[in-house]
Amino acid sequence: MSASSSGGPLAALSDDLAAAVDTVGRSVVAIHARRRIPASGVVWQPGVIVAAHHTIQRDDDITVTLHDGTTATATLAGRDPSTDLAVLRLANAAGAPAAAADGAPRVGQLVLALGRPGTAVTASLGIVSAVGGEWRTWQGGTIDRFIRLDLSVYDGFSGGPLVDAGGRVVGINTSGLARATALTVPASTVARVTGQLLSRGHVARGWLGIATQPVRLPPPLQRSLGTEADGGLVVVNVEPESPADRGGLLIGDILIALDDVPVRDPGDVLAALGGDRIGKVVTLRVARGGRAEQVSVTVGERPRARR
Amino acid sequence: MPGAESILRGALGVETALAEVAERLGRVTVQVRAGGRSAGAGVVWLRNGVVITNAHVAPGPRAEVVLPDGRVLTAVVTARDPRRDLAALAVTGDDLEPALRADARGLRAGELVVALGHPLGVAYAAALGVVHRAPTGARGPAGWLHADILLAPGNSGGPLADTQGRVVGINAMIVGGLGIAVPTHVVEAFVRDVETAMRGGARAA
Repeated sequence: MSASSSGGPLAALSDDLAAAVDTVGRSVVAIHARRRIPASGVVWQPGVIVAAHHTIQRDDDITVTLHDGTTATATLAGRDPSTDLAVLRLANAAGAPAAAADGAPRVGQLVLALGRPGTAVTASLGIVSAVGGEWRTWQGGTIDRFIRLDLSVYDGFSGGPLVDAGGRVVGINTSGLARATALTVPASTVARVTGQLLSRGHVARGWLGIATQPVRLPPPLQRSLGTEADGGLVVVNVEPESPADRGGLLIGDILIALDDVPVRDPGDVLAALGGDRIGKVVTLRVARGGRAEQVSVTVGERPRARR
Repeated sequence: MPGAESILRGALGVETALAEVAERLGRVTVQVRAGGRSAGAGVVWLRNGVVITNAHVAPGPRAEVVLPDGRVLTAVVTARDPRRDLAALAVTGDDLEPALRADARGLRAGELVVALGHPLGVAYAAALGVVHRAPTGARGPAGWLHADILLAPGNSGGPLADTQGRVVGINAMIVGGLGIAVPTHVVEAFVRDVETAMRGGARAA
């Protein structure tokens, strides 16, 4: 989409950026679901809008302003606090979906953040400052890729797209996943979560029903357990009637491995409990009374009370 | 890697063009000092010595203008409009290079813009950003040019320009991290008002 560069390379770049804003801006909507200024959202499929969960502060009476200035009523299809995503449905299949970028962004790549905190689409320019692998949010959601920006995001930008210079959506920006900075939820994660929210209304996660904290295993205990691991997770709570309770796990057990994978951090257990594990049996290796034991637990689904 | 080489050439072209824009703006941007406080900026608007700055940069009847070549001139504040945050200064001179201008209402969000000014006392510092929201013809906040660009005190009164080095606005304030500029068409209307007032007075235009 390179423009005629009568004004030289700088003008051509400027035209490309403005064209990218214009193209993707047609898919960027304003979402009225909170007080003060509206938030942003992206038309992901015809009639389906992705937004930032933390900006949708009510479940009913949600309206959306489309790029042409028309207002439509939207219903909440579902929300996933763990990835800070929410999906809205429009009554008709209004809006043109944005095209998603393939693959990982590169560090140093020029990117635009778009928002529509009102009637007009607004833009800011920056670069991708860091790209990393899969990570888990503090609420246990899995984000396929870590994308950090050197870019100013302004009020009302959460839920808006990060756009490359070719006018493709890299992901959805939100200030709801990190304390000091805005991060981008990559398009692949948005697609996965959106699919689950549309079909089920929530994102299912595996659940054992235990609370743990890290503990060191002294060498004599390592020897008596026959393990190389110098740390594990001591079980400090077992929810009544939870999968762990039914499997016979006890407070005071020290969890050493889950399906033969060592666990040293509560995050290691969360990582092993994706939605695909629900209904499957996992084998926990625990230290109980100084001896190693095996406990089999059928993974349940995490209760949905948490927001 | 021929691909990498061509990418590098593209980046160098952008870099050179950016330097040209900054250089062009540097020829029409002045420092404005009033009352010994830190300097603001100004833009040479007309060849006959009309310099535009913010009303808050030139609060008194006179100001000191430092030209790009270092000449220090005493300027008379001929008009002030606090509502539009504009002031017109008159300096003696008929050989000043005036700024090229473009209408900010034609800008699109995402277009590159360059600011030149003296942020925090650093003379002739450039900044690159993009149009956050172009001005509409309306009154109120929507009538200003909003830019995603890093400005600081000392940019006030200085130019915000497009990729051709044409001034699209006069930087006036920073709100929520955004640079807010008075769009050129508002400045032109202000200058017309000033000239009309002068013709009505004793001075011939």
